[in-house]
Amino acid sequence: MKSRDVFSFAFGAVRLRKMRAGLTILGIVIGIAAIVALTSITTGLQVTITSELGEGFSSDTVTVSTQSFGMFGGGSSDFTLLVNDTDTINEIDGVQTSAAIMSKSVMLDFGSTELPLSVTGVDYAAYASIYPSFVTEEGSIPETPANDSVVIGSRLTDPWDNGTVLAEVGDTILISWTHRVGLEIVEKNYTAEVVAVLEEIGGFSMGPSDLGLYIPLSTAQSFFDTDEVNSIAVKLVSDDEEFVETVSQAIEDAFDGLVSVTSPTALLAIMSSVFDIISLFLVGIAGISLLVAGIGIMNIMIVSLLERTREIGILKALGMKSRTVLGIFLTEALVVGLVGAVVGVVTGYSMAIIFSAFSGSMFGGGMLGGDRGLSTSMMTITPVLTTEIILGAMLFGVLVAVIFALYPAWRASKLNPVDALRHE
Amino acid sequence: MTTVLEVEDITKTYMMGEIPVNALRGLSFKVESGEYIAIVGPSGSGKSTLLNMIGALDRPTSGNLMIEGVDVSTLSDNQLADTRKNVGFVFQFFNLIPRLDARGNVELPLAIADVPRSERKKRTKEVLTSVGLEDRMHHKPSELSGGERQRVAVARAIVASPAFILMDEPTGNLDSKTAGEIMDLVKQLNEEQGVTLIVVSHDQNIGRQAGRTLHMLDGVIASDVVN
Ligand SMILES: Nc1ncnc2c1ncn2[C@@H]1O[C@H](COP(=O)(O)OP(=O)(O)OP(=O)(O)O)[C@@H](O)[C@H]1O
Ligand SMILES: [Mg+2]
Repeated sequence: MKSRDVFSFAFGAVRLRKMRAGLTILGIVIGIAAIVALTSITTGLQVTITSELGEGFSSDTVTVSTQSFGMFGGGSSDFTLLVNDTDTINEIDGVQTSAAIMSKSVMLDFGSTELPLSVTGVDYAAYASIYPSFVTEEGSIPETPANDSVVIGSRLTDPWDNGTVLAEVGDTILISWTHRVGLEIVEKNYTAEVVAVLEEIGGFSMGPSDLGLYIPLSTAQSFFDTDEVNSIAVKLVSDDEEFVETVSQAIEDAFDGLVSVTSPTALLAIMSSVFDIISLFLVGIAGISLLVAGIGIMNIMIVSLLERTREIGILKALGMKSRTVLGIFLTEALVVGLVGAVVGVVTGYSMAIIFSAFSGSMFGGGMLGGDRGLSTSMMTITPVLTTEIILGAMLFGVLVAVIFALYPAWRASKLNPVDALRHE
Repeated sequence: MTTVLEVEDITKTYMMGEIPVNALRGLSFKVESGEYIAIVGPSGSGKSTLLNMIGALDRPTSGNLMIEGVDVSTLSDNQLADTRKNVGFVFQFFNLIPRLDARGNVELPLAIADVPRSERKKRTKEVLTSVGLEDRMHHKPSELSGGERQRVAVARAIVASPAFILMDEPTGNLDSKTAGEIMDLVKQLNEEQGVTLIVVSHDQNIGRQAGRTLHMLDGVIASDVVN
């Protein structure tokens, strides 16, 4: 029998039992859709992160902190970095410049609204020379800033995208810091004046953030009454990978290994391996649902085999070969798998788009996170559907369908025509 | 005349669990090309079983069966399937595929034999017309009367112009007029194209039409009469 005839015969058989075929297809659709949705979202996330990090991270910049980043969470040593440690770092060969960064959570009173945010104390000039994104949209960053000056991220002008301007150049913000002195809870205040608004930076970057408030380091030192800093950003003279590693090591050694130096490249590698693990895990779950679908297919094929024993007997009596009977049954599974896979890919991608639209509005609208160097506050994920994902998902769906149909199809093909014809 | 079928002392034993059922107990005969043979005998005497052997649907338990000079016991399953393409079978129970309409059922042997589509359509229509079903082509078996189904089965048996036509009670469900028409049609094939015809039937008319009658009893041939 010609393959075209095999196909139309098989297709006719599938079409006859619409309900049953529909349910089998549904099983495949769910599995494939889950795989496609998950992989396209994680791929999209990875693309977003890599591209935004790629922009926001200059690879000649490393961060010194007492935190260590690792795949299994980080640790923090009791060691503290101080403002003057920049001097030590600046002396190390290969270091161009460095800037200490002191971050504290405070309450901000914009007159109309109060917001809990974090405020960052930096040396404007050093910070700007390390992070090119520290440039102004409005106003200017003073070379010798007044103690009460503050530079704000672009998003603080209109955090909810609805025209409510929180602060502009010239406005004042009341900064209050609540902390503990001995047993007492003490609140300190001071009024800062907005001298500049930064250009929009985008979601994901090292260094300045659209939600950041930057005050002079000296002000921070006296207001928070400490010399302890969270981290020190260091710009190196070259971005050669080996060079970055050597200098990073030198910096660590300078502090007896009590600090950790993170390079953006290393961070990227860690993050992408974390994403790989997450997506592998999720795809594994989706794979289980495909397995269930496969068992469903096998079950249905066996039922169909019993029902159609007589039909198989007729076909064989008319001279059909066993391998053609096998072909018919496998083609039926192929049709089911293919339809399921196509619908699954479309459904999965639609689900991913709906999810990203939903999550985008959630991140972008409501939440105002603090400045933690890496801020997800404005990150939108655009799901990415690559040809590999499409082909892989389809292949997987079809394979599952065909593999689970193999046994019933083989049994059908082995039926003896006389016995099959006698079957009631 | 050439011998197209040689049956030599064949037996067929079915196992019903532990108990053997001897459906055929050693029977021999020869069939020449173009013969018209009627097989008669009581129910359970092994007529259908014999027809299955002749039609290459099954292998005998012992003995030799030569179809056109080829011993079926030496054939592989695939070769056996190919042998069946040369046999038109009308089963005791119509055995049409419920999902396919009359045309689809009749076309099936041609599709299996890789006949091109256009030729298939033409031939199918011709044969359905010759059995008087040209206006029932698109009816499924469930939408046809018993006699019409029987005629579809006959059409399917003759569509691929086989060398043998084997019929198991082909007129059991038909009135004598329709039965006569159908049998005239196959008789015509037998006379004009030399198709070898073997029919299991109790129909007196078929007995009279046939050139030879095999009488079966308890799995053996009780008499072999040339009319
Ligand atoms: N697959 C089988 N398994 C067990 N016994 C069988 C099988 N096929 C046939 N038989 C037995 O073999 C004997 C012959 O059966 P067969 O169908 O050839 O009879 P028949 O002459 O065609 O009868 P009828 O006129 O009723 O159709 C019967 O006793 C039947 O029960
Ligand atoms: Mg019978």
